[in-house]
Amino acid sequence: MLEIKNLHASAGDKPILRGIDLKVNKGEIHAIMGPNGSGKSTLANVLSGREGFTVTLGSVTYEGKDLLAMAPEARAAEGIFMAFQYPVEIPGVTNNYFMKTALNAGRKHRGEKELDAIDFLKLIKEKAKLVQMDPALLSRSVNEGFSGGEKKRNEILQMAVLEPRLAILDETDSGLDIDALQIVAKGINALRHPDRAMIIVTHYQRLLNYITPDFVHVLASGRMVKSGGKELALELEKKGYGWLENKEPIRSAS
Amino acid sequence: MVGLKTKNLSVLPPDAPLQVDETSETLRIRVPAGCKASLIDEAESRLTITLAENAELTYYKLIQEAPQAVHQSFLEVQIQRHAAFRSHVFLLGGGQIRHTIHVRMEGEQAECVLNGLYLASGEEKMETHTLIDHIKPHGTSREFYKGILDQKAQGLFDGLIIVEKDAQKTDASQTNKNLLLSSTARANSNPELKILANDVKCKHGSTIGQISPDQLFYMRSRGIPESQARRLLVYAFASEMINLVDHVPLREKLEQALFAKFHV
Repeated sequence: MLEIKNLHASAGDKPILRGIDLKVNKGEIHAIMGPNGSGKSTLANVLSGREGFTVTLGSVTYEGKDLLAMAPEARAAEGIFMAFQYPVEIPGVTNNYFMKTALNAGRKHRGEKELDAIDFLKLIKEKAKLVQMDPALLSRSVNEGFSGGEKKRNEILQMAVLEPRLAILDETDSGLDIDALQIVAKGINALRHPDRAMIIVTHYQRLLNYITPDFVHVLASGRMVKSGGKELALELEKKGYGWLENKEPIRSAS
Repeated sequence: MVGLKTKNLSVLPPDAPLQVDETSETLRIRVPAGCKASLIDEAESRLTITLAENAELTYYKLIQEAPQAVHQSFLEVQIQRHAAFRSHVFLLGGGQIRHTIHVRMEGEQAECVLNGLYLASGEEKMETHTLIDHIKPHGTSREFYKGILDQKAQGLFDGLIIVEKDAQKTDASQTNKNLLLSSTARANSNPELKILANDVKCKHGSTIGQISPDQLFYMRSRGIPESQARRLLVYAFASEMINLVDHVPLREKLEQALFAKFHV
């Protein structure tokens, strides 16, 4: 589904990623862990198509297409979803209207019939239950005045509405108390599907207590320094990142 | 009492007992004590409004002229004790528009709200000049103007609030926000406070900015095409002012004007 090969990228002028290789198949959950400054967020930003990040070498292929050549809206329409670390507030645009517009933009792109207001409201009410979202937040402006937990829940709600094939969750656990973390994790688990892959980017292991990954990768200084199964996350929890930072990068045989 | 002869004004409710003097060049309207009414003004150029004690008036002004037209209008408002004046001024089109409001807060506990939205494109120039003079104590004024400027349009907001020596416990705020849609559009903002009393609460601020790249990216990352996301953000900026209008036909007219101007 997604194949990253020897990816080098800069944030502004600063080289951050120095050769990332990753292959994600449908249905798989990959956790990408690493210390601050290791390049986790840069990787997520490059995959979502944010401006200010430049790919200097390597490739990213998604469903056989060159992902890096696609505009952000095209990536979304093709089934990629990014849950942001810092969701943006949009005063004057209601949450309901925003999600309906986004959903219908995708449906239009795929040649499907757009949902009318009534069908959409039915859908959103159903999905809101998944993340225990207060329905009042649906008619408020997008993320405006939301608490940290409400913003993250809103990200997962958007994911539930848009039903992506590949979801990238960037530090979704940051700033959440334990109750909010459990609600968000429950929402994510409910969206696990054999046809849907997820990449969970996280500094801490705690989110992985609730969402069991199939693979764990450790990023340090812009390179993947170790990959393993779910037990690797626990090892990192015990030993920290220090023992891995000087390791040689691992490269897939390509 | 004289009924309104001019076609440019409409009063809501139609039987509101407004007192009108149309004998001079300046149209004079008095809102009698305790009277509550709304006034929609689509073209008067010189107007004086007096609100007697406990009166309330919501005033809507729309200026929608041809791109070459020159329009100047002047509104003077006197607010007596415990009366409230709320205005919504929409400058929607015109080559050169200059709209001026002078408000005298003549009674204690007078309330004044001045809201405004100016939408300019092409080579239009739109100017707003406001003066709120707090003369007596315990007055409240809220001023909020927004502008959207595209192509080579120019916008000016010039707002002065004076708090006189006797106007203690005045609570005043003044905000002006501008959204520039092109690199050749210009906005000037001069919010100004002149405070002579010593026990008051006053604040002012202004911003001139462009569409937020973060908001734009967030929408695009959800699959909304860039042009549609831009339109939605422009609409959101303007709708904050349009949504303050309670009168439904007027609100629809404003939405249409916004759509015609910026295709949102």
